[in-house]
Parts: sequence; C-alpha cells; structure tokens
Amino acid sequence: MNTVNNNNYDVIVIGGGITGAGTARDCAMRGLKVLLVERHDFSTGATGRNHGLLHSGARYAVTDHESATECIKENMILRKIARHCVEETEGLFITLPEDDLNFQSTFVQKCNDAGIRAEVIDPELARIMEPAVNPELIGAVKVPDASVDPFRLTMANVLDAKLHGADALVYHEVVDVLVEQNRVVGVKLRNNHNGETFNAYSKITINAAGIWGTLVAQMAGVKINMFPAKGSLLIFGHRVNNMVINRCRKPANADILVPDDAVCVIGTTSDRVPIETCDDMRVTPEEVELLLAEGMKLAPSLGTTRILRAYAGVRPLVASDDDPSGRSISRGIVTLDHEKRDGLAGLLTITGGKMMTYRLMAEEVTDLACEKLGVTKRCETATTPLPGSEPIEKEKKISFSQKAAAGRHGTLNRDVERGDVTSDALVCECEGVSVGEVRYAVTKLHVHNLINLRRRTRVGMGTCQGELCACRAAGVMCGDDEGAQRAINDLSGFMNERWKGQQPVAWGDNLAEAQLTAKIYQGMLGVDKLANERRVEYYEI
Amino acid sequence: MKFDVIIIGGGLSGLTAGIALAEAGKDVALVSAGQSTLHFGGGSLDLLGYDEQGNEVKNPLDAISNLNGNHPYKKIEDVSRLAGVAKKVLERAGIATAGEANHNHWRVSPIGALLPTWLSLEGMATVEDAGTMPWKRVALVNVVNFLDFPTKFLAAGLRNRGVEVDVKAFTLPELEQLRKSPTEMRSTNIAKVIETNNLIAKIANEVNDIAGGYDMVLLPAVLGIGSSETSRHLLKAIKVPANYVATLPPSVPGVRMQTLLRKRFTALGGTFFTGDQVIEGNFEGDTLKGVKTAKLDGTTLEADNFVLATGSFMSRGLVADYNHVYEPALGVDVEDLGLDRNTWSKIDVTESQPYMEMGVKTDSCLRCQRAGNTIANLYAAGSILGGHNSIKRLDSAGVDMLTALQAVNNILK
Repeated sequence: MNTVNNNNYDVIVIGGGITGAGTARDCAMRGLKVLLVERHDFSTGATGRNHGLLHSGARYAVTDHESATECIKENMILRKIARHCVEETEGLFITLPEDDLNFQSTFVQKCNDAGIRAEVIDPELARIMEPAVNPELIGAVKVPDASVDPFRLTMANVLDAKLHGADALVYHEVVDVLVEQNRVVGVKLRNNHNGETFNAYSKITINAAGIWGTLVAQMAGVKINMFPAKGSLLIFGHRVNNMVINRCRKPANADILVPDDAVCVIGTTSDRVPIETCDDMRVTPEEVELLLAEGMKLAPSLGTTRILRAYAGVRPLVASDDDPSGRSISRGIVTLDHEKRDGLAGLLTITGGKMMTYRLMAEEVTDLACEKLGVTKRCETATTPLPGSEPIEKEKKISFSQKAAAGRHGTLNRDVERGDVTSDALVCECEGVSVGEVRYAVTKLHVHNLINLRRRTRVGMGTCQGELCACRAAGVMCGDDEGAQRAINDLSGFMNERWKGQQPVAWGDNLAEAQLTAKIYQGMLGVDKLANERRVEYYEI
Repeated sequence: MKFDVIIIGGGLSGLTAGIALAEAGKDVALVSAGQSTLHFGGGSLDLLGYDEQGNEVKNPLDAISNLNGNHPYKKIEDVSRLAGVAKKVLERAGIATAGEANHNHWRVSPIGALLPTWLSLEGMATVEDAGTMPWKRVALVNVVNFLDFPTKFLAAGLRNRGVEVDVKAFTLPELEQLRKSPTEMRSTNIAKVIETNNLIAKIANEVNDIAGGYDMVLLPAVLGIGSSETSRHLLKAIKVPANYVATLPPSVPGVRMQTLLRKRFTALGGTFFTGDQVIEGNFEGDTLKGVKTAKLDGTTLEADNFVLATGSFMSRGLVADYNHVYEPALGVDVEDLGLDRNTWSKIDVTESQPYMEMGVKTDSCLRCQRAGNTIANLYAAGSILGGHNSIKRLDSAGVDMLTALQAVNNILK
C-alpha cells in the first residue's frame, strides 16, 4: 500500500500532520494527482501534541479577532464533516477570585463580535453543569468549545485523499528539494525504514511540514523565519471534567482543561526553543509543577488524580515577512507563494495557523495551487463529510469492543472484521480493541509498528499504558519468525517510548505502575534480553 | 489480640516468614492486602540471574559472594543453607520444585527468552544448559486464540535455538462458552473452566491427536489454581513428554503458589487477616507494641515481634509522593539515596532505574529504623528492602524468601 504509482504528480504535499493531510485531501478532491509524504508517522508533530480542543474561538476573541472568527466557522464545519472525531462537550470560561471579573463583559462582547455564542451563566449553575469546576469561581461563561481527536481527524483526511486517488507514504523523508532553473520540480525522498532514496516529481510542491517547514525551505534555498514555541501538557488518568474548562482572562499558561475520550488534558506552557531541539522535546520538572498548580485552579481534583504522562509540541509560529526580528508574530494563517516572494516557482508553503483552522489553511493553499495549474474546480471540503462521518446507518445491538471501534472509526467501523473467534479476541481490554480492529488498522491505516497502532486505535493509551495489550498486539501484528524478531524490537521500543512520557511524572501510582510494567516486560518476559536492535522511533506522545 | 509475631504483607516473603515461624511453634498473624507479585511471576523462582556487570550467572552462590555491600543478601548469614530451607518450606506446602542454589537452570519465558533461574515448579518447561536445547521437534499447543500465550514469539525464540517448532491450537465447547465475553479469555478463567468441568481427559485427547512425532509438547500454564493435581494429571495423560510455559499475567502457577502457601500457613495455625492493611504502629520507645489496621476498627494487634514484608512501590509497600518516598504502614525510615524526584528515574527505560534500589533502612539484623532509631522487634523482609535492582539482577524471589527466613532466624535467636 505504500508504493508510488508513478513518479509524476501534480502536487507533492510534504508533512503528514493535519495541515498536510487536509491539503492532500483538498487537492485530491479538486482532481489533482497527489503524493503525500511524511518522514515519521501521521500526526507525530504538533498535530498529535496539543489539547485536542475544538476551539470555539473564545480564547482568541479579545486578542485576535481574525483567529476567533476563523475558529468558530471551522468549529461549526468540523462538527458536521468530522462528526466521528468530535465530542460536543461545550466549554466554560470561569473567573476565579484572583481574576478581574470586569474582563468577563469585554470577553462576552468580543465573542459576540466574532460570532461566538457566549452566554453568561450563574456560577452556581456552572457548578451543577460541571461538578469538577473550582467551586470558588465567581463568574462563568458558556461557549461552544468541544473536544476533537487529532489522530482520527488526520487519518480521516488521509483516507479521503486516498479515496480520491492520492498516494501517501509514511516514513519517507524529504532529504532534498529538486530545483531546476528557479523552479522546484520535485523532491528526493529517503525511506526511513531501509535508507533507500528516490526522486518524486511534481508540478507544485506544498510545504506543510509545520515547524520543520523552515528546514524544507532551506533545502529549496529560501528562508522562512519561524519561531518554534514549545507547549507542554499533562494527561490525567481519568476524565475529571465533562466540559472544557478555560480561565476567563487574557490567554496565559496552563489555563485550558479538555476532556478527551477517557482522560483529560491540561495545558499549555509557551516557551521559545531552538529549532534543533524540536525533534526531542522533553517536559521539564518546572513545567510539570506549573501545569499542575494552574490545573488545580481550574479543577481542584486534578491534585489527587493520577497523571498518565507529560508531552510537548512545537507551534510553528511565523514572523511576518518584513520583520525578521520576530516581534510581530501571528497565530494567523500564512500562505507563501515562493514564486512571488523569492522568484522560486513550483513551491508553496502553508504554515502558521492552528489545528482548528487546518481545513481553511488547506483550502487557501489548494486554491493557490489550482490557480497555478489552471484548475477551476471549487473547494468542497467544508461540506463533504470525511470518511467515517457519513450519515449513520442504523446499528444493531453491538458489543463493547464494537462500540469502542465505532467510536474510533465512525462508519468505517463496517470494514473491521468481526463475528468469528479470531477477529473478536480482545487485544486491549481498557480501550476495547479487538484482533479484527488491529488487522483493519494494519491493512488500511498505514500501521507499521505499535506506536502507529496506538495512534489509530488507542491500544496502550489507558491507565495501564500498554501493560499487557502491547505484547498481545505485537503478537497479532507479527508474521513469520523474522517478523517476530522485529515485533520484539518494536515491543521494546514501544515500552521505552511510553516511559518517556511517564518519566517526567513518575511518582505515586505512576511510578508503581512503571515498576510493575518493568517487572513484567523485563523480569518475567525478558524483552530486553531478546531485543537485538534499539529502534529509534521518533519521540512520541 | 496478642500474637508472638505479626507479619505485615501476604506475598512470597510474608508467607515464607509466617510459615517458618508457625513451623517453629510460634503463634503468628498475617495481615495481607490480598494481591501478590507472585501473580506476575513465571512459575519459577530466581535467586540471582545476572551479576552487577550484567553477566549471566551460572552459580548463584559464588556470584552472591561478589555482590556489593548494600545487597540484602549481605545480611544473610548462610545463603546456601537458607536456600535449602526455602526449598523445603515450599515442598511442605505442596509446591514441588526442581533446581539448586549453586547451579542455575533456564526458564522459558512466555515470549521465548531463556532466563537463568533457581527453582522451577514441577511441570514447567526448563533447560539445563542454554547452549544445548534438549528438544528437536516441539509442538506449541495453545487454546484457540488465547492471546496471552504468544506462540509466535515463543516459536521464533525456540527456532532461533535450532528447534523445529509447529504451532497448534485446540478448543472445546466449554471454552467457546467462555469466549462469548472476549474479556474472559484470560489464564485464570480458563483454568477455572477446565477444572470445574473436569476437562482434563478431553484436553489430553485433543493434544494426543496433535502430539504424534514430537519429542516435546509445550502448553500454556493455565491449569492448577488451587493445587498442582490437574496440571500433573494432564501431563501424565499426554503420550509424549509435555511441559508448561508461563503465560502473560495473571500467572496461574504464581496464583497456585500463593494459594498453597496461604493454606499451609493457616493449616499450621496461623491467623490470616485478608483484604486488610496496617495503617498505624503503636511504638513505645524503641519497641513496636502493636499495629492498627484499616478494617479491625479500633482493635490493636499486639505481638512480641513484627515482620514488615509489604513489598516495593508496585505493592504499595513504598510510596513516592510528589516530593518524597515513604513507608506508609508504620512510617519507618526509607533509604531514598538522597535523590530528589527528578533523579528517581532515568529517561531510558532499560537503564538501571535509581528508584528500584530504594527501600527501608535496616541494620545488619534486618531491623527497621524510625527517626534514626533502630526498632528492636521490627524486621523487614522481601522487596521492601533496597540496595539492589531486582529486575536487572533477577533475584526477587530469592531476596523475598531468604530475607524472610533470616528475619525469622533473628527473631528466634
């Protein structure tokens, strides 16, 4: 499934995050021949390292009217086209005694200006609607925030791009941009599994590589001034809140708590970091402390809830072009036509923005690509449901794992084999993942290893963090004896990557669980004795 | 209530101490939260598998004498003798084992690793010399789609060592019934179905149909929760040599060990408080007078001597909160190695993790300390002792049993 049909494309999209996936979808839907390339797995960059918040835009209402307007529009669109990726939780903006209650009226006014329905409610009502909220609150505003699964959303875009004829390659890294007479004609790709390189050609190359877009531009000989901003977050072991809880004040550190599936996430911090560090972000003890302290102000019970893991992403902030100092940084969408800007034809960059506005970003850059290619077909991504979110077929009575799978894959759940003893055997009890679902993910969703599988199915994301399910899943995924050795190496890599996220928060139950996992995998199974290769998978979430 | 000795903790270490004291005629009570890390063991007991350089150990007794001074074995007067006593304790509890303290053999792990070990339960697949496999043609016979017996890994592991392996599977109507809820296909549930429905003969038939031409049949260890009778019975009914390999947890042989040890303890007259935990100690000067538990409301359990065998972090014998490591039952002193939270662990999971070496402080007689003072009648045993990394050394069962027996000796002196 990872073969390139031929080497000539209308468009090559670089970057398998949500922006690249959305762009590939849009281009493919306009009838272009598309190749999407990603150097690691889908959604390994900032896409998989945020809150999973479907912003209403309220957070930006006071400081950034344009972003707020974009957010609420895209929010309403995604609820329709990506129904199976969105949970309609609603959100609260709370004012605490230490905050200025006068800010609330400005906030509500600005929300209304941006088209965001913001409703002031009685703090007492807020306590009833969201029992986890800090009972000290003195003000509350209800807004249409929701939560979204970025992994699922990215995959749905990739699947739809492929349904419209696109090719997609994961673990293929752009190692050079091919330039002929001031025109980008394609890219040199390296297969990161076996090291082989080959060229792929296209009329237009779209750089959608997030913060790493600055490096792609460099390969093409042009400069984009980016400012990597690290944001750290903590995942808690269960879902403390059912509504998104925000602080009603100017955006600051750690003031959003989002319920995602069976967990909840507090974040973020914001710090400039050097580009060289973006491949291996670690959450510092100071960040953990800050996130925990601020998080407890939103929902005090976080103080007694187990933290599952800590992770960090990097926002691709872009300096406005005439200001290399980086003082005027926007969160808005930045589309660069390098032909106009740098005299380099055939290359477009789409960057800035945020996960929420990925579809709009894709639309903007695809419009530009179409214009250059003389294609007139209009964008339909705002009205066409993503695969998995088509109108619901009436389901018969279904089991726990079927329900769980339906939650994860939407209507695509019909492609998961079931009904026989092999397919129905459960791999992961916490998340209800069956053998059939694992096989579906392996054959249809570009799964090469356990970490990919986790992103597609949530295997190992529960409170046990892969205690038994990782070994079961590895057993299901491996084929012959050679495959078995690879799977053991994979298992060893998976345990190490899980630990990376746990280690910054390794105390209490987390440390106890980590010790038990080590006892099982190292002491009882001897995975460390059998693994014969240290697989360095891209740092994970 | 007054006893001679109260044991806190019902795992391998606590039960070993309880049994040894009861065998010596003491009136013993044991307070257990119920769970035991035996459930995560593989049907073998390790004494010392790897030395401090990470080399495989052939003769544990020799290697133990070369361990660093903090290792709990350094507080044991005669390792060789107590290893012999430990084996006898197990035997008298109905747990037959094979193995010697001066000569490791190799256990077959559920994913096909060969790991050095001391004692293996009867019927478990073991290898005398990791360099020469004793089998030429092996049939791995699993229950259909029982995922906790990872046959592909096991087969690959054996084939890498030159063994011909075929993977087979069987099922029975009773097991299909169990499968109706997929979460039920776990080792202990399978064991219950087989035992309550008397399926041994039927299984033997299924296996015998498959087993022709093999010199070894390896089965998942899913038999014998309460005794080794059924597991022994099945091996006899199979016409070719057959052994068990441990499954992913829960480990049926581990559950069986705990069950039999507990039975032995109560048969000797020991008092077992289960599902309870010690929450407070009543200290007078340098002596522990009694303990209070969560469930025995207000009642103090008194004794002349106490053994603290509540395990490490995973058993909640040690607790790490945001800023420090403490012992939650009695508040005895913990050796936290002077580390702050950010250095308790290392970023690479396969590195030796510093937290693994934490434990309660003890004197040379295994007596605990409180606020720097040795408590004259409170002994620590098992995984709550620090000074070693049981996962890297593969020495946890040995430490559990031998420190328990040493504590008992110290009490009886």
